[in-house]
Amino acid sequence: MSELKNMTPEERKALFTFVDNDAISSEKIVAPRYSYWRSVFRVFFRKKINIFCLVVLTLILLISFIMPYFWPYNLMENVSRATSYNLSPKAAQAYFGGFSIKWLLGTGSYGNSILYGIVSSARTSLLLAIICAAINMTLGIIIGAIWGYSKRFDSVMLVIYNIIANVPYILLISVLVYIIGSGFWSFIFALTVTGWLGIAYFFRTQVMIIRDREYSLASRCLGTPVTRVISKNILPFLTSVIVTLLATELPSYISMEVFLSYIGVGLSATIPSLGRMIQQAQTAFLTYPWEFWPPVFIASAITIILYVLGQNLADASDPRTHM
Amino acid sequence: MVVMLLVYTMIERSVIFQQDDVWNKKSNNDRITYEYAQYQKYGYLTYVDYTSFLRDKYIEKYDANTYTEKQDYLDDKAVIQDAKAYLKNASVQEFISMYEGKGYTIRYLEPLKYRNGGTKPGGNGSLLAITEKSVVNRLWNYIKGFITVETTKDIKDPELTERYIRVEKDPYSGLFAVVGSGTQHKYLLYFDGRFPFIHQNWIHLNLGTSYTRFRGQEITDVINSPTGDLKPKRQQYPAMLGTDEYVNIAVDFHTLTYNSGIVSDVEKRQFNDKYTVYSYRRSGLSMLENSFVIGIIATLIAYALGLPLGMTMARHKDGLGDKLGNAYIIFIIAVPRLAYIFMLAALGTTLFHLPYKFANAEVRILAYVLPTISMALPAIGGLMKWMRRYMIDQMNSDYVKFARAEGLSEKEIFNIHISKNAMIYLVHGIPAEILGCLVGAIITERVYSVPGVGNLLTLAINSHDNGIIVACTVFYTSLSIIALILGDLLLTKYDPRISLSEDSGGGR
Repeated sequence: MSELKNMTPEERKALFTFVDNDAISSEKIVAPRYSYWRSVFRVFFRKKINIFCLVVLTLILLISFIMPYFWPYNLMENVSRATSYNLSPKAAQAYFGGFSIKWLLGTGSYGNSILYGIVSSARTSLLLAIICAAINMTLGIIIGAIWGYSKRFDSVMLVIYNIIANVPYILLISVLVYIIGSGFWSFIFALTVTGWLGIAYFFRTQVMIIRDREYSLASRCLGTPVTRVISKNILPFLTSVIVTLLATELPSYISMEVFLSYIGVGLSATIPSLGRMIQQAQTAFLTYPWEFWPPVFIASAITIILYVLGQNLADASDPRTHM
Repeated sequence: MVVMLLVYTMIERSVIFQQDDVWNKKSNNDRITYEYAQYQKYGYLTYVDYTSFLRDKYIEKYDANTYTEKQDYLDDKAVIQDAKAYLKNASVQEFISMYEGKGYTIRYLEPLKYRNGGTKPGGNGSLLAITEKSVVNRLWNYIKGFITVETTKDIKDPELTERYIRVEKDPYSGLFAVVGSGTQHKYLLYFDGRFPFIHQNWIHLNLGTSYTRFRGQEITDVINSPTGDLKPKRQQYPAMLGTDEYVNIAVDFHTLTYNSGIVSDVEKRQFNDKYTVYSYRRSGLSMLENSFVIGIIATLIAYALGLPLGMTMARHKDGLGDKLGNAYIIFIIAVPRLAYIFMLAALGTTLFHLPYKFANAEVRILAYVLPTISMALPAIGGLMKWMRRYMIDQMNSDYVKFARAEGLSEKEIFNIHISKNAMIYLVHGIPAEILGCLVGAIITERVYSVPGVGNLLTLAINSHDNGIIVACTVFYTSLSIIALILGDLLLTKYDPRISLSEDSGGGR
């Protein structure tokens, strides 16, 4: 301070410069940085059960997608050796000479390895669920968004929906699979050809509710283009709805495959799948329990984990929980 | 419905024969003619055989008893066994020009012969005129014949002189019955001791015929006729009525239908009229009844348990009971239904020694226990989930705060006010739930091998029975539409604020 006093006015002037009144920056409101997804994950990871489920899910995913390359599964591998059929875990170890991971869970009705079968089957089921969910969700959300937004499209789509939705979904799929065959891709086709319709209808209702909210109306009055209204005003509001849908959709495809294979219209016998394994072992579920329970257990574990994770992620993606 | 029928025409029709023994035994040309005969039976096409054309022609020329001995008939018939000369025959030319003019396709099956001149098995030549029925045509025929009402003009028998429908005293039940003559069935409306006590044969729902699984049977009959052992009873034939003569037979005289063939001498002594075709009384329930009994009890259990449990969960939100309930709901929703039905089956059979499979011959009450519980479990979960959700949504409403301010106890608020309002959402589903019992649960019935309608579709798919698949689809779909309409009506009855007509101003 004393230095400043000793200076001449010219020297002082040289130290300071005048700042203009900046009209633009005075309009800005400074707030702490908020990232939506970072908050979602902060809330999500607060729960211990989510971390546990995520670890288990990662393990299942890794095992089922990597291990089939090291553990090639062949249903007919021991088909010529009738003595190797239906061996309990203990008997199988003895039969194939000493301990091996391959026979850890015993053998099936053709002398096949149950463990390798489950690993390969889990991959099929997961792949199926992921592909079906991806196709159905994408189609459902896009069509649902337009359906809810455009009134003219709505009247057409409602007629289509009423015709198709009156037929029980399970019936429709079983008949479709019966007609087009039971390969992996034709199975996916059967699950997705009308599967998106239910999602789109649900989404339509959600979009309609938000479409007529005041802020959306105001935005439209100001001349915001339709695509921008949908993508910026409506869709972000529905993130938690989308995640909730995903949480119920993913496990439902696994259940659906198990069910359809069980009644005999699912994937063909050459493709290892959880439903097929259950179907093959179901007549012997009291006599050879080791053939029946492992696929049932894995199918249940995958569906429960996916469901719990999805529900909790949906809760976390609701901004009202981000306090 | 229309969509499903169109889909059904996409199915390759030759799959009908995959498990057909008759088809397997036949070979060469015989097999082809058999295929056409079956296709005609199931309505895919119409075909005319050259031999039947000849028969008609010569019956007209001579008469029905002697035409087979005439030489020109035999010549005309034999000519199609000669692949080179048959086209020169006048009758063949007449046949071809006549049916080609009508738009039929002519197909000649060449006789297959060994080198020494003998005919190969099933190798007889034949000449056919075929016309395919269009999908629209078949669809129309199906819808046209969907509901039939019996009238006195149904039987086209000139011997039958008396034609009437009247109320008579029913000698088999002791009550009254509507009896018809000239109708297909004798007893059109009658009472007996079997549930639902009043029965009718007047109006028929025609769902089509089974192709492979129940060869040629009407599907309505398949799902309605009782299964199990014959159940004899001391009773009298119609001709014995009024005498002391009794016989111990299982015949159900209420099912008498008209015999359009020849009545045997034995039958003439037993019956007064030509209504001599009957079916038997059996100890088991019909497929429809099996599914319905299991379904209705499961639904009752579900509502009796699910609603109170959901209410308790909502009342003690975040308590231990709520957490357990939520775990149960997650389990029911996420785990494949097949998995927990098998878990239950394993538990029931090992711990409680309940019968696991439905024995065909005898029907025991215990066999119904596991299927019923299996069907109730998911329904309970669903009801708990929605009841809890809706009650929690209602808890913050103004009327609840007002009721609390008025000094009502929490118990009153929950049990009377909130539950009543929460039920509005659930009322809509009740008819669907009850009619859904008729459809049966596909998995449950298959796991426990219940002879019910739910299992029928999957069995039909496995045996490529297109007739049953279409019938099931039509049946299920019509039921779900009826359920929707009933649900709407029930909703307006339960909550008068809701109105379905547009002009009365109520909005939903």
